[in-house]
Amino acid sequence: MADNLPSEFDVIVIGTGLPESIIAAACSRSGQRVLHVDSRSYYGGNWASFSFSGLLSWLKEYQENSDIVNESPVWQEQILENEEAIALSRKDKTIQHVEVFCYASQDLHEDVEEAGALQKNHASVTSTNSMEAADSACLPTEDKSLNTVSCEMPAEQIPSSDPESALVVNDAEVTGEKENHCDDKICVPSTSEEETSENVPPAEDTAEQPKKNRITYSQIIKEGRRFNIDLVSKLLYSRGLLIDLLIKSNVSRYAEFKNVTRILAFREGRVEQVPCSRADVFNSKQLTMVEKRMLMKFLTFCMEYEEHPDDYKAYEEMTFSEYLKTQKLTPNLQYFVLHSIAMISETASSTIDGLKATQNFLRCLGRYGNTPFLFPLYGQGELPQCFCRMCAVFGGIYCLRHLVQCLVVDKESGKCKAIIDQFGQRIISKHFLVEDSYFSENTCSHVQYRQISRAVLITDRSVLKTDSDQQISILTVPAEEPGSFAVRVIELCSSTMTCMKGTYLVHLTCTSSKTAREDLEPVVQKLFTPYTEMEIENEEVEKPRLLWALYFNMRDSSDISRNCYNDLPSNVYVCSGPDCGLGNDNAVKQAETLFQQICPNEDFCPPPPNPEDIVLDGDSLQPEASESSATQEVNLEPPKESANLGNPEEPSE
Amino acid sequence: RYTFSDTGVGKSSIVCRFVQDHFDHNISPTIGASFMTKTVPCGNELHKFLIWDTAGQERFHSLAPMYYRGSAAAVIVYDITKQDSFHTLKKWVKELKEHGPENIVMAIAGNKCDLSDIREVPLKDAKEYAESIGAIVVETSAKNAINIEELFQGISRRIPPLDPHENGNNGAIKLGKASTPSSRRCC
Repeated sequence: MADNLPSEFDVIVIGTGLPESIIAAACSRSGQRVLHVDSRSYYGGNWASFSFSGLLSWLKEYQENSDIVNESPVWQEQILENEEAIALSRKDKTIQHVEVFCYASQDLHEDVEEAGALQKNHASVTSTNSMEAADSACLPTEDKSLNTVSCEMPAEQIPSSDPESALVVNDAEVTGEKENHCDDKICVPSTSEEETSENVPPAEDTAEQPKKNRITYSQIIKEGRRFNIDLVSKLLYSRGLLIDLLIKSNVSRYAEFKNVTRILAFREGRVEQVPCSRADVFNSKQLTMVEKRMLMKFLTFCMEYEEHPDDYKAYEEMTFSEYLKTQKLTPNLQYFVLHSIAMISETASSTIDGLKATQNFLRCLGRYGNTPFLFPLYGQGELPQCFCRMCAVFGGIYCLRHLVQCLVVDKESGKCKAIIDQFGQRIISKHFLVEDSYFSENTCSHVQYRQISRAVLITDRSVLKTDSDQQISILTVPAEEPGSFAVRVIELCSSTMTCMKGTYLVHLTCTSSKTAREDLEPVVQKLFTPYTEMEIENEEVEKPRLLWALYFNMRDSSDISRNCYNDLPSNVYVCSGPDCGLGNDNAVKQAETLFQQICPNEDFCPPPPNPEDIVLDGDSLQPEASESSATQEVNLEPPKESANLGNPEEPSE
Repeated sequence: RYTFSDTGVGKSSIVCRFVQDHFDHNISPTIGASFMTKTVPCGNELHKFLIWDTAGQERFHSLAPMYYRGSAAAVIVYDITKQDSFHTLKKWVKELKEHGPENIVMAIAGNKCDLSDIREVPLKDAKEYAESIGAIVVETSAKNAINIEELFQGISRRIPPLDPHENGNNGAIKLGKASTPSSRRCC
């Protein structure tokens, strides 16, 4: 632990967000010596997930952000005459307008009782620590958040409609059949056996909870480890670039996923389920026979709209919503297609955008289940870690809590040649990959950022109650007024391992037009009601109750061109923070592009040579590998797995 | 289930001995290794060990929380010839207690017991410490295959039979790899 870092690498990666982690893995996999550092104490940067107490300390850090003391050795002395330095920032300015509200009862007496009732030995350690943090964080913090937000109106984003995300073209028509197939084989949580098995373990825990069936703040604190709260709320398109990359690189073995179970819509003050797969449409009770036919016909057309240019060419100039009006669709169906399937703006998206988005959605259906989306167990924050692990497995060196003070540039060549870290150590490298929040104001003086508005809610029940309490849902609430943006709501149940039993974790996301609370609170009020001490009587009618809420704005640097930064040497590469889109294609594309600049002509994250379950001994890896019992076991698994996934067409590269 | 500890104490060797019954004198610091599997009979059950090695991420105290997910047991290895490694071990135990699954079975392995003439950590110290945290403790030698089997047997016995640990992942989708529901997943 007291080891010094080696002083020479091929690639130094600063920041452990998703794109940086993918690049680190890819470089390490290609034989580059990689040093991967992060100034924070956790993996993922703004892509991280936190336990409840972890989130509270994260919040606290932002509130205390201003007073970082500079106690590191002075690096200026180390810069030679023929060198220049690019100082890096020590302050993260990507999060603003943090506001926290606690609605759950904070009665401390209950805390005492609970501690006895819950026989969870180790939990007490964490909870005592975190209580302090909690107390200070749960007061609304408006005073802190008066920094100005840059709110130029960005052009509407259409994250999911890019053509490249729809990679696999064939098999599209078999969707319906495959779904059935999948339902039997993999366990999409909508089958009944599935639910029973999931509900068994919770039964124990419910017994431990107080009989009045109310969740208090102290319970949330106590069960804080059950939470994995994502800073960015995203899903994986089941045929998106990230899924393909995970499978191709074999990084997928480090993670597990759940299928999103429902697509929801919010219309006329009510939440309802959107039928989107063939099976859904036929089973739907809300649609008439005529509507079912209309919808199927339209969706079938969207699957292969390119082949019927005559059917849409005339409408190319208009918006998708106007185009939908010209189709044989009831207003009901138009709403579903526009907001819940295409998920694009009513006013700013063209017919082609809409058709592409719809097609992408439909192509992703049925690969793993009844909706096009997957969610990683334990949260989105697992994904950067998975790639970091792959990097480490191929020799990458990891160092969290490690500040880089500056980049050292050789005046003559204009290239960056080293970093100087917090201990004053100079570490040489050929390539430097920097996540943009590490740049100082000097470097970013001309950069204009957009913002993402985020809310995280802990609630006591689902926005749409059904037989199963283990649903994962996505809901799009269209923009109310011009100039604002549609709000994406993702509701996670406890079996995603992101929240404690008996609660739901709800993420709201939109492109910012104002502060996060101003943007999102109207939607929160429509869907939820604050928790109060009132007795619950007409439980059936009531909206889910808010136990806890957090709002914040996150900087969106995803569309910043490299040229906007001042004076960057050509071997310094910039990674952006998370974008506002639903999928992860942006991060993967960015990673691949930068990787190709660092390692031209190298394959991007090819599968490991052998099942990497073998302790490699430099020279003799092949023979050892083939003899080991470990290999045999693993070799047996692939056939099983593809059967299980009902997914014969994995990318062949 | 996974193993971790201070660097250079022989985690990978232990794993390698356990899984492949093989010892390599100059095994390189873990590169390219990540997880191995081995099935061990325990009573009427078969326990499948999915062992995650830490790939050196522990070296600068930068282990990712993903290692803890759904783990049934952790093996923390120290080197009986290095007092420092025993101190580091305590840090890991603390970390695990704070962030790991609540019912995780902890096992402490004092490796390199074939080198007891240059021992720095008395077995008594290790035993007292293990008792204080409720962990299994054994001294092992991956080189001479001492107590390796016993270490994992011991863990097997400790893992509760009906798996009440929180890993209610039934229905989780493994993208590249099927989870094997017949056996317990411990990483």
